[in-house]
Amino acid sequence: MIPRSGVRLLYPVLLYSLTNLIGVLAFLYPFWWPATLQTTDSAMAHATDAPLLTTLLVLLCLGVLLLEVQSQMVNTKTVALLGVLVAINATLRYAETIIPGPGGFSPIFLLIVLTGYVYGSRFGFLMGVLTLLVSALITGGVGPWLPYQMFTAGWVGISAPLCRPLIRWLRRLGGDEARVTLWVLAGFGGLWGLLYGAIMNLWFWPFAVGAVEQSWQPGIQLVETLRRYVLFYLVTSLLWDFLCLVGNMTLILIAGAPVLRVLQRFQQRFEFHYDAVAAPGAMTSETPAILVSGDA
Amino acid sequence: MTSLRLHPVAWVSWLLAILIGVTTTRNPLYLGLILLWLAAVMVTARLVLGQHFTRPPLSPWRWGSVMILSTALFNALNVHVGTHSLLHLPAWLPLFGGPITLEALLYGALNGLVLLALLLAFGVVNGVLPVWALVGLIPRAYYPVAVVVAIAVTFAPVTVRRLQQIQEAQAIRGHQVRGLRCWLPLLLPLLTGGLEHAFQLAEAMMARGFASQAAVVYTLPTQVMVLLGLVGVLGGLLVQMLTVRTLLSMGLLVGGSAVLIAALWGAGRSQPHTRYRPAPWRGRDWLVLCGALLVIVCFLLPVPGVDRVSLFYYPYPTLTLPAFAIPLGLATWGLLMPVLALLLDGLPKPPAPRPNERPTEMVEARR
Repeated sequence: MIPRSGVRLLYPVLLYSLTNLIGVLAFLYPFWWPATLQTTDSAMAHATDAPLLTTLLVLLCLGVLLLEVQSQMVNTKTVALLGVLVAINATLRYAETIIPGPGGFSPIFLLIVLTGYVYGSRFGFLMGVLTLLVSALITGGVGPWLPYQMFTAGWVGISAPLCRPLIRWLRRLGGDEARVTLWVLAGFGGLWGLLYGAIMNLWFWPFAVGAVEQSWQPGIQLVETLRRYVLFYLVTSLLWDFLCLVGNMTLILIAGAPVLRVLQRFQQRFEFHYDAVAAPGAMTSETPAILVSGDA
Repeated sequence: MTSLRLHPVAWVSWLLAILIGVTTTRNPLYLGLILLWLAAVMVTARLVLGQHFTRPPLSPWRWGSVMILSTALFNALNVHVGTHSLLHLPAWLPLFGGPITLEALLYGALNGLVLLALLLAFGVVNGVLPVWALVGLIPRAYYPVAVVVAIAVTFAPVTVRRLQQIQEAQAIRGHQVRGLRCWLPLLLPLLTGGLEHAFQLAEAMMARGFASQAAVVYTLPTQVMVLLGLVGVLGGLLVQMLTVRTLLSMGLLVGGSAVLIAALWGAGRSQPHTRYRPAPWRGRDWLVLCGALLVIVCFLLPVPGVDRVSLFYYPYPTLTLPAFAIPLGLATWGLLMPVLALLLDGLPKPPAPRPNERPTEMVEARR
């Protein structure tokens, strides 16, 4: 059944906004639940299972988004390209003997950001989600943190095309095209390095501080929880994530331009499709049996 | 293929039971019991599977003890509630200043125990299930994603090998890895080669008639159901956020999730699908599943005769001895079922036969 074009346009917009809203709420769960917490025993007993609930919600949102995105994987070329790129990226994640990285730095963001930028949001999303899934499968890193990691890495890829208008705008102001692209992408990757750490901390946060003690200080509200999280973040992970930022930026600045060139060259090679020629009688020696037409 | 002793779904049910058991309680007695059974399953799985047990990159025990220490310390530094004061930090320290109490320390350690249990449970499942079984767990609705994952899992060892080859080739040419910049001559050939490989793979798949057109997974009813389910979940979250946890918010959350799962299931049904050599479901799988269900039911639902109040444990303001309900303690034995199931075949024979037996066997085999 083919839906009407209006619905077809409206549907992804609704879907993406709903899933992302739920995802953000689920991630922010540790901040808002102390505010609504009751001092009764039963409410506090429920509070401990909150991480399980949010993990399930994140998993569900991820599933719905994946279902939408995968319906766009129309041909074998996308499937093969994605499979191989994910394999390369998952390998890079654990090939630390080759890539001397400081702290929490992991080289996966280079390809997630660049493929998202070149091949579009959907590809970037799948790249992020599947890189983490596959590397967890290979190394035995499957855990309750995995849906959060996948969702966040998916956000990195899905948001990468946002760099395009910025780059266009900066280029209009004047400036070398290649250099502007590189610096914008490096900044974007660096920012996500920092954000990724902060978001992933949220998974751990309810365990680190059993916020249950809030009930003994009835005045405690969102701001106070936020203050505590900031402190927790500063103490435990800022340095780690800062190294991540520096690592991502350096890696994109060094490897960005050549990798972009490779990806763009292959984009032209991959974006073609076969058209069957109309009538066999019309075939002459000049027209091939199959027309190859490029989109790029 | 034959190395699977338990059906993957049985393992998943066991994992789910642990997740539910561990997250619904902070009672150290139940947590301790669950951890004990987990350790027993871990040890048995290692003994029975031997070489086939894939070890995680980080030892869950070491990682878990770090977790317990850090959560205990952080909670103690952050929460200054409790009557047993251990020491007093100066008040000018922001947030950290104040009494460090035994209660806060213990509650933090309990949270750490929960994390350790999660790590151990996932460590067991990661260890016993080979990668193909894990890929096989991807729901049917995600067929294209599963294909990509299968390709990636297959290509990962190839990529590692290629990386080593590139490293060797560059080393012969005098390349030395000194910093990030020197990494480029390794990355670029890897990427270009991989993309070339992807191109060949795509052509090979197309030549074998692999889905040149995407199967339509998304019909209008599915779309409507997905949107409805999402609105339900969002509504439930918002209601819970603005008011207290009520029946309405839980109903919306559960109802929305159910609609979403039904939509996913429906999308999966529309995918024609055959399983190559499905894993058998045997009696021992029923054993594990029933044990898991027992735990889930007893820990989540009001069962007559099971006192669930003791699940709740809270050390503030004064440390108390946790309560213990014998039926619940007995129910946690359900988590021990994988040990029974794994031992049904008996321990594996020692790999090396006695030296004096081998020659005669070989001679007999030649005859």
